[in-house]
Amino acid sequence: MAQGFSYVGKRLTRPDVTGKVTGAAMYGADMTLPGMLIGRILTSPHAHAKIVRIDTSRAKTLPGVAAVITHEDVPKLGFTRSAMAEGFPAVAYKGENQDQFILSEKARYVGDWVAAVAALDVYTAEKALDLIEVEYEQLPAVFDPEEAAKPGAPAIHDRWQDNIAGVIEHPFNRGDVEKALAESDYVVEFSGRNSRQKHAHMEPDVALARWDEEGRVTVWSPCQNAHLAKRAMAQRIFDIGEGNIRWITPTVGGGFGARMSFGVEPVCAMLAKVTGKAVKVVITREEDFSGWNCRTEMRQTVTMGLSKDGTVTAIKQRILSDAGAYLSHSGSISAVNMQSTLGLLRSPVISGKATVVYTNNPTSSGMRGYGNPEGSFVLQQAIDMAAEKSGMDPVAFRLKNARGVGEPSMWEPVDLDSCSLDKCIKLGAERIGWTDKWEGWGRKKEGRFRRGVGMSIMTHASGAGGFLLEHSNAIIKLHEDGSAHLTVSPCEMGQGILGVLSQIAAEAAGLRYEDIHVITGDTDVTLFDIGSHASRSTYVIGNAVVDAGKKIREILLKRAAKRLETTPDKLDVREGRIYLIADPDTAISVAQISRDAIYDYGTDGQHITATGRYQSLTHCPNFQAGFAEVEVDTETGVIKILRFVLAHDIGRAINPQNVEGCLEGGACQGIGYALSEDLLIDGKTGEVLTDSFATYKMPSALDMPEIDVILVEDPAPTGPFGAKGVGEPGMTNVAPAIANALYDAVGIRIHSLPMTPEKVLEVLRAKEHEGSV
Amino acid sequence: MRKEIATFVVNGNEYEVIVEPHMLLIDVLRDKLGFTGTKYACGAGDCGACTVLIDGKPSFSCLTLAVTARGKSIVTIEGLAQGTELHPIQKAFVDKGAIQCGYCTPGMVLSAKALLDENPAPARDEIKSALAGNLCRCTGYVKIVDAVEAAADAMRTGG
Repeated sequence: MAQGFSYVGKRLTRPDVTGKVTGAAMYGADMTLPGMLIGRILTSPHAHAKIVRIDTSRAKTLPGVAAVITHEDVPKLGFTRSAMAEGFPAVAYKGENQDQFILSEKARYVGDWVAAVAALDVYTAEKALDLIEVEYEQLPAVFDPEEAAKPGAPAIHDRWQDNIAGVIEHPFNRGDVEKALAESDYVVEFSGRNSRQKHAHMEPDVALARWDEEGRVTVWSPCQNAHLAKRAMAQRIFDIGEGNIRWITPTVGGGFGARMSFGVEPVCAMLAKVTGKAVKVVITREEDFSGWNCRTEMRQTVTMGLSKDGTVTAIKQRILSDAGAYLSHSGSISAVNMQSTLGLLRSPVISGKATVVYTNNPTSSGMRGYGNPEGSFVLQQAIDMAAEKSGMDPVAFRLKNARGVGEPSMWEPVDLDSCSLDKCIKLGAERIGWTDKWEGWGRKKEGRFRRGVGMSIMTHASGAGGFLLEHSNAIIKLHEDGSAHLTVSPCEMGQGILGVLSQIAAEAAGLRYEDIHVITGDTDVTLFDIGSHASRSTYVIGNAVVDAGKKIREILLKRAAKRLETTPDKLDVREGRIYLIADPDTAISVAQISRDAIYDYGTDGQHITATGRYQSLTHCPNFQAGFAEVEVDTETGVIKILRFVLAHDIGRAINPQNVEGCLEGGACQGIGYALSEDLLIDGKTGEVLTDSFATYKMPSALDMPEIDVILVEDPAPTGPFGAKGVGEPGMTNVAPAIANALYDAVGIRIHSLPMTPEKVLEVLRAKEHEGSV
Repeated sequence: MRKEIATFVVNGNEYEVIVEPHMLLIDVLRDKLGFTGTKYACGAGDCGACTVLIDGKPSFSCLTLAVTARGKSIVTIEGLAQGTELHPIQKAFVDKGAIQCGYCTPGMVLSAKALLDENPAPARDEIKSALAGNLCRCTGYVKIVDAVEAAADAMRTGG
């Protein structure tokens, strides 16, 4: 079947890369507008403090300063940084998650926004920030979520008595978990916590805004979900109609989930409104690190009950999530964590509960994987413990207990109609050489350098169909020359989605790939879509493009049938050419049909255009198995990854090069998450200590081991040409597979990420000490 | 502050710019001359996104005082392609899928150029070492190293 495609499955050059490699691509910070001012933000040096007095008079009189604003000047409707006008229906918050204003009346973390300036240039803006006098009354702060959850802890949001932002019960809890655990032959339990990984997209946050004479505002910013952000800004910030906001997304320098929260757009739009000028707000890397947005820290315990033959009888998960100062995505991430953690294995009894707590730490948000890498680190170690307890090989244990086709997916009302996890596990195990390298449980290894292998499996959604608003639209419009404009609303943040959707459009409509020009990133032009996140764009937007493509094909065949004096069913269209199936040499070009349709002086004039739509009722889960081989230096505690194998159930790879790129890049972030990346916060002051690339250690080219990507292609019945999502899953299996390989090598488990040499040594020493007693 | 008119030679062309002593080369290139392919990402020389070639050497333009680069030959990403003909390194980055968000790409390509100008046939490890100062958050570096290898081959064979 695949050989029958013109473009699907091919490694075609993406439309966005030539501009990127020549320097021509326009990112937010590269833009200037006539009369544009530069905006900068004053941040709080205190983690929790009331603003008693704020004096902007000196700053305002500095030559070159156009405006200085404080909390007194901003709308007070209240919005959420997650840029959702409405909460996720899946998450029952205590009350209101619209918990912040553009500028705060009270600082709730070090870095909270206190005032903002617009000036002629960045130097003047920064000078003006220095001239703003703020008198703070410091309040007791709380940084530990367990402390923050206790009665009597300092209340971070005054309108509530405590800091519990929400308690979320997993919607598919069933059975009496305590009873089931008590009746199980074995019980294993693992507790662990993940780090606050930073998205660390290379392009720092930026926004431009300008209000026009009609009272409409245009916002330019790297935003993953512009249509939702537009609505949230209209409804929850400026109290204007959605039609009064135009959101333009320039080239985006990385997202990874960070850009599905508001960045500096609200403050930028406010400064533009006050000054009546175009304003660009820029921030520094230090501000990015110590500002908002990091993976939500979750403290979790997973308990599993087992029967003697290694069948899972019960799974229980408890989560304590640190939202930081404002709620943003941390509630919904906790819910998704439970879906992916509790929805992977077959179990008659399931119990999940998450508590989300405010603290005076920087606001958490969603990062690549959205709860899945958080849960997997704990679940997959518990699974290995369960396999050991049952005396089973980790591969066999997972093959036995993982859900498959016909069983409920991670969001249970939907049953799986496509799942190649078994194949991923088998192919991955074979590639890493599992049967040779895994020597069985409890085999003590000797020497300074000890090797081990470990594995992990995961499932992730391709969009949130079945549990969230999940539909998309696409427009294809033909030109006289047979080329087409494809209007779609993903966020091209590097994943290659514009190329993927172009390949789908060309294949579905029968056009030439090089003839597809994409229009995107402008809410005035594109139709509604919830943006690029949740590994959804290929699957959901792709299906909308298929729908539009089919309609174009139908119009073309109908018009061509008249010209060729036949019927549409006798014709096909491919690569810009419509031909008789029985006699392919009898043909007419798409260009000819398109041109003649427009320049029809008779009665049949038409600009050939079609709008496609798709509403996803399933979330077409993708699956993956990851395998790590490591070498542990027992003298330094350094874990060296010798090899990482990742076998992914992609359904169909529209562009295998893109899929590999997503998985390799995800694996790289997974390696950082596993071994080195940690946003360190001073436990007394709340200051971020790792606010540079020098102190926050991301992998460089030297840190990357050999990554072996295996694409498992069993087309999914509901996917566009069978494709599933792949944006997030690259990183999910990395940390747990390494953790399990570490156990295989030296017999220890680390309970918190990252697994630094210091932690490894500490646990190794403790184990040796234990052993010698 | 003492302003002066300084001459910069960027991609073979001379430009006269009014500079102040505190100005950084990245600001002159981006804000005064419009070479926005040079990217700000950290301002501290930690990530390499702002890399340009000064007299052939890869340099962090975010740490370079503009006045120190007067009269020297500066090459930015805009100076590599000949018209619409991409430099072999650029072409290899495109062909091998080494570009995702593209924000690190200009610095990465220029660091690769400095490497290949000195060492036309680097081993994979030498490529990784030469690029270790250029952070990429998207690709996992695999395809970037592939691209530099392919570019080296193409440049040696004149392809």
